[in-house]
Amino acid sequence: MKKLLINVRYWLAPILIIVTLLSVIMGGMFVWVGVVLFGVGIILDTITMPFHPPGAGFDENGDTNGMPALQNTVMYVMLPVFALLQVALAWRVMQYVDGAVIGEATMVGILPFQLSGITGVELVGAAISTGIFAGIGIIYGHELSHTKGFAFVISRLMMGLSGSSHFSYAHVYNHHLELAHEDDPATSPRGRSIYRHFWLSHFGQSKFLYKMEQTRLSKLGKSFISLDNRWIRGYFMSLPTMLLFTWAGGAVGIAAMFLVWTISNFELEALNYMEHYGLIREKGQPIDYRHSWDNSNLFTSWFFIEIGRQGDHHDRGETHFWELDEVGSPDARWGYFTEFTVALIPPLYHMVMKKKLATWDRDFATEGELEIAARINTQAGYNMPEGHDSYSPI
Amino acid sequence: MFGLFTKKKDYDATVNSTETITVKAGENLLKTALDAGLAWPHDCRVGSCGTCKCKLVGGKITPTSDFAYTLEADELQDGYILACQTRLKKDIKVEVELLS
Repeated sequence: MKKLLINVRYWLAPILIIVTLLSVIMGGMFVWVGVVLFGVGIILDTITMPFHPPGAGFDENGDTNGMPALQNTVMYVMLPVFALLQVALAWRVMQYVDGAVIGEATMVGILPFQLSGITGVELVGAAISTGIFAGIGIIYGHELSHTKGFAFVISRLMMGLSGSSHFSYAHVYNHHLELAHEDDPATSPRGRSIYRHFWLSHFGQSKFLYKMEQTRLSKLGKSFISLDNRWIRGYFMSLPTMLLFTWAGGAVGIAAMFLVWTISNFELEALNYMEHYGLIREKGQPIDYRHSWDNSNLFTSWFFIEIGRQGDHHDRGETHFWELDEVGSPDARWGYFTEFTVALIPPLYHMVMKKKLATWDRDFATEGELEIAARINTQAGYNMPEGHDSYSPI
Repeated sequence: MFGLFTKKKDYDATVNSTETITVKAGENLLKTALDAGLAWPHDCRVGSCGTCKCKLVGGKITPTSDFAYTLEADELQDGYILACQTRLKKDIKVEVELLS
């Protein structure tokens, strides 16, 4: 029973994703449920900031408390759930474009289902809710990108639903190799806003896979323009989504799709932003625990399936999330929802992170990293006054 | 996916003709070597850095990622593999420059 409860706590996200799907189908004011849930997430994440439970851990026999078959099944099932979320939204787009009359709600038990028709404002709400929870899919796309065979393909397809299947390769072959260095588009240097990072990281990672495929195919004597090209194949994986929304509503459908893609990719790049913001590593030096921010408060740990244990993850990239642990990485000391909210106001975020990074420079950085930090701090306006005492605990 | 229906077996890996380790089904060569106390060079452990590369001189393996992303063309031709991305299909023999 204890083991089951440990595993069930990681179902927060899947349950809320399914609730969001249901809310889009219910229609009416319920289409805003995804947005409301996001707000509730911010509150719960902030409230649970002081609580840092351990990972799933191991039992008295030394066996993992994780239940691999169960967790893997949940992750695989999320692919059709995300697809259904898009289908539900496309259906609403079609109703709006066709001018479907908004009829009476049909009661299914205690739940009112507004199956016929949707207003323009409600359609926007449905698209935002869909985008928010489609973006949460990154946690499964990420986990499965570190697995092999069939599961990796699921990762690609899942990320392809948001036009970012390049992530599955760029994350492993670029981010895990170049972390905290300027050659990693997913690591944000000090001073960059989350907004700028969004497009620099997204297109930077796509460009990385483009170049990596150029090199690989050349080594193998194959043509770049071919179905052997995984960069090209990745965009083909996004084709069903593009066709679905175009068919459902033409220009309105495409606009809805881009809103969903913008929100979901923004969330993906926000995670990259927060996980390594401002951390520095010299080229060629080994990746260490200090090159990641851990975010391990209760709500973040359970909602984001321990993705916040970045230090351990970058040491043991193919270790399943239920085996990740505290390893002494600098801790951002807030959850992802909370940090994301602050990051949306760049001057506020820089004001907070400047002090955390001053502590990192003092307590974690090597001499070489300090030299780089001195240059970057000047560029970013992160220099602290001589003899200051504005260090934040990390 | 179809691997679900094939019986998984443990196989032996002989390293530098001196040491033999048993790689369990589903485990990769690097992890088994490190667990056995071999000073196998490694870094990223996800197949992107190439530090764990070794030469396959006998037997069969299943690569769990595309070595062509990390190894050079001549290394691929010479039979080099990435230990962290290798599962054994048969008993194998490998050569690697262990850390002293």
